[in-house]
Formats: sequence, structure tokens, C-alpha cells
Amino acid sequence: MAGNIYIGEILKNEEIQEDCFLMKVKLPSSFENPLPGQFVMMRIAGLNDPFLSRPISIYSFTRGKNYCSMELLYSVVGKGTQILAGLINGSQVEINGPLGNGFETKSVKKNIIFIAGGIGIAPLSLLTESLCRRVSSSSTMNIYLGFQGASAAVGLDKLKKLCRNVTVCTDDGSLGEKGFVTQIFEKDMKKFAADDTSIYACGPKAMLRSLSKILNKNKFDCQVSLEERMACGTGACMGCAVAVKNKKGAFAYQRVCADGPVFNLKDIIWK
Amino acid sequence: MKANTSPKIAVNLGRLKLKNPVMTASGTFGYGEEYAGFVDLNSLGAIVVKGLSLKPRLGNPPPRIMETTGGMLNAVGLQNIGVDVFIEEKLPYLRQYDVAIIANIYGETYDEYKKVARILSAVKGVHALEVNISCPNVKNGGLSFGCDPKIAARVTRAVKDETGLPVIVKLTPNVTDITVIAQAVEKAGADIISLINTLTGMSVDLKTKRPHLNNITGGLSGPAIKPVALRMVWQVVQRVSVPVIGIGGIMTAQDALEFLILGAKAVQIGTANFINPHATMEVVEGIKNYLAVNKIKDINEIIGTFKP
Repeated sequence: MAGNIYIGEILKNEEIQEDCFLMKVKLPSSFENPLPGQFVMMRIAGLNDPFLSRPISIYSFTRGKNYCSMELLYSVVGKGTQILAGLINGSQVEINGPLGNGFETKSVKKNIIFIAGGIGIAPLSLLTESLCRRVSSSSTMNIYLGFQGASAAVGLDKLKKLCRNVTVCTDDGSLGEKGFVTQIFEKDMKKFAADDTSIYACGPKAMLRSLSKILNKNKFDCQVSLEERMACGTGACMGCAVAVKNKKGAFAYQRVCADGPVFNLKDIIWK
Repeated sequence: MKANTSPKIAVNLGRLKLKNPVMTASGTFGYGEEYAGFVDLNSLGAIVVKGLSLKPRLGNPPPRIMETTGGMLNAVGLQNIGVDVFIEEKLPYLRQYDVAIIANIYGETYDEYKKVARILSAVKGVHALEVNISCPNVKNGGLSFGCDPKIAARVTRAVKDETGLPVIVKLTPNVTDITVIAQAVEKAGADIISLINTLTGMSVDLKTKRPHLNNITGGLSGPAIKPVALRMVWQVVQRVSVPVIGIGGIMTAQDALEFLILGAKAVQIGTANFINPHATMEVVEGIKNYLAVNKIKDINEIIGTFKP
């Protein structure tokens, strides 16, 4: 655990697509290097309204000489993110993190597949960067990105630079193929052998749920990053529960913040 | 401004002696370990651990929490690892620290309360029991034990019969007159009374017309409830002679001092831990600083100095 609350300074906070913001925060050097899939709890320094901090996953991270900088990609979904979106350069934020368990990449297989829905691209983007630096040239990477429409598409340029096989789709067909990202992936699925493939996914619950249906018929290994409302982010409040099969195979509620946010898709119990 | 001599901040709640009046509130500090990276656990008056039941409990389905103005609602449903796993896996860790460990307990029947109390009284490292009487009594139509003075007294006696440890009874504010319950548990043998637990509340999603919480209702906590907590502590300290612990919306040393001035011997910090993991230590430091600045040598000099 990091054990510290860091004061970050906003270097950039721009609306890059409708209701989608890219925030760049300057942090002291003592901030630990985040693992892909980890998140931070963020609040406006000195402000008690909104009351709770907001969990936001880390989109990119750079370590400079005397400080580091972190980028966060977030959608405006409610009061908290709306207020964050209004912050100007130079504003101070309180940051607790990096928090949670990142994606497990030690046993990454030959074929690497990323499946992201909407803002779910954020943690997968950091993971792509990290894996690009590490994996051997015999590995292949395939990225599937789904958005509601062209006006919601974010983060494409960065991923296209990192990976040749990027498939984009939108619900309305306004960009790339028409359809849900899970359907587009399903069409390609037979190209990959389950034993040789690691899948990493992040997106809305409905997307992950349909992905679990598709993958359950096969033996694919798939890690997903989940989202839930949180109060503490450190495992104490038990607010961010998700229903899973635990190690003994029994039904349990685990904490997205401290037991996750990355889970094996096959462990998640859908209602 | 800091003075040279550091003021005395130890408090005695009857037999329960604390090095300072700042405790953690049950359910907001895990089993201590979750906050050890942020807080020097030795600097606290006491750690009250997450509520323990006889058997592990799954808790409620999500969503379990919702932010409100100046606070939050929770319906976690007392998810916990159970008393046996606590003793085996969590207590050894806590024992390394020089801090009072208080086990918060609850049951769905008198017998469950008794068994949990008995088990915890037989192990080393537990300094007191805090009895949560806000949970539903399954044999009484799910009505909370803490809503009826006779039933609250019976739970208190049931626990007292099983333990030699100091017994704190934690009161629910969701009653018509909290002083009636306070007097009933005092008469039944409670050594200390803590209050308040969360206030029952709700929140509605305008888009879906559904409740924000899966459980529909939840417990409201945070600074929004502090004025209610102060009022209830004030009412109770006038009616009982056992020590009282003030709980409800404390974010800062100033908040804590308000409760102490009213007559609470100690306070518990709850929801503040979620948004500021350093809150407990900051309150301890803030109290010391307040005493030093005001040239008060001992915290006990300000407890109960309220001038109505």
C-alpha cells in the first residue's frame, strides 16, 4: 500500500470528446510506478463536496527527473466527475494511489487480445504500452475497441501507434464496423487458439457479461477490470462488492478496490 | 502555535484505559491492517474492528453505497469473516501493537451474541467488547434489538453474563427517545455507552425511479449527521452515569472536541477514514494542539464543560 496522500497539480484537463476528459496531473517523485489496471482515488484538495473521492483508472504514466506525471481518461457520469471536469490548470487534487491489483502479465501467452468498451480503453492502453515493451516479437497483439458512436471514440491514435491490428466498431456504424465489440470479436475468435491466448478486457457491465457468455463456451483465459462505486478505495468500507466464485468455488462478495479491480472473468457471477 | 509541554490526553472509561480519546468506528477501519500504511496504529486510543458475527456473513448484494450531501449511505449488510477467522488471522497482527483492541460484535439471536462474547473473552488481546444492537432481531420480526428498551437490556445482560471484559453498548439513533434505551442498557450492566450508529436513510435514482441501494434503505453517516449525534450525546450524558463515547460525523479535532465538551469521554472516527485515511491521527494531533494553545494541561479538564 502506498500509505500516502499525494497532492497533484493539474497540468491539463481537456474535453477530448463529448463528456470525455483527459486530465494530466503532476505528482511528486515519491509516487510509485503504477501497474497497468491500477487506479487512484481522487478528490479536490480542501473540498468536502462532493463528499467521496472518485476512483479513476490510470491511462498513462511518465517519470520525469524531479516529478512524475499521470494521465487519466474519464467520462462525466455524475456530480463528482462533472466537478472534476471543471478544474482548471494549476488546480490541486488529492490523490491516493496507485491502488488495487493490476493485470497479471507474468504468464502472458503468444496471442494477446485487448477488448475495450468506451472509456474502458484507459487501463488497457497502459497495459498495451507496458506489454509492447516486454513481449517477444513472436507475439501478436490484437485490439478490439467499441464505442457508442464516432463522437465517443477516444485513445485511438495512441493505440494505433503501438499495435497494427486495431479493430474499431461503433453501435451505430459511424466509425469502423457496425456492431458491439463483443460481436466483432466473436467473428474473429476462431483465429485464436484458447491455449495460446491471453485476453484482457474492460468496459461496461453489459459488455463484460456478453463477453463471458461468448468465452465460456471456450477455454479462453480472460482478465477484466471492473468498476464500482467506492468510498475508501483501500478495502475497509466493503462498499464496492462484486459477486464472485472464491478460491474454494463458493459464492462470495469481494472488493473491487482491494481484491480487484482486475478479476478473472470466469470467476464473476452474473445475476 | 505549539506549546512546550505536551498536555495529558489519556482518558479512563471506567476500567477501559485509553492513551487518548480517539478511537476508530467499527466498519470504517477494517481490521486495522488496511490502514497501517497510513496511520501509526500505536498513536490511536483504540481500534474498534469491523463487526463480528458467530459465522462469516456474505453481506448484501451491490450497490451498497451512495454518496449524499455531506455524507454517504451504506447497506453493506455486516459482511464479515466471522469470529473464528478473526481470532486466527487478524488478531495476531493487531496484538503486535500497543493499542486497545475492541471487538464489535453482533448476532441475530441472544444466543449468537452470547457465543461470540464467550469466544472473544477467552482469547488474549481483546480489551473490550462493543455490542452492536442496531441489527435486526430475526426472532422478533426483524425489528432491531436496539429499538426496544427491554430487548436492548436483555442483549446487554446476555453479553455481560459471558464476559469479564468491559462491555460497550452501541446505540441506534433510529428510536423515539434514545435516553430510554441508554438507561435500560445501563441498568442491565453496560459499562460504557457509545452513540450514534447510522441514521436510516434512502436515495432515489431519477433516471430509473429505483433506489440507489440494492437494500433500498441504508445507514447515513458523515458530517451530515453530526448535529443529530451531538444532540443525542447531550441527552444521554445527562441521564446516565456510565462513560459515553461520541460518534457521528467527526472529521476534525474541532468536531471531536465538541463531543468531549458535551461530556463524551472519548470519540470514534468513522466515515472520515474513507476520504482522509489520516483522519484519526490528525484528530489526535489537533486535540493536543488545541489543549496546548489554550493552556489546558489535561484533556479531562475540558470533558463535560458544556455551558447550556
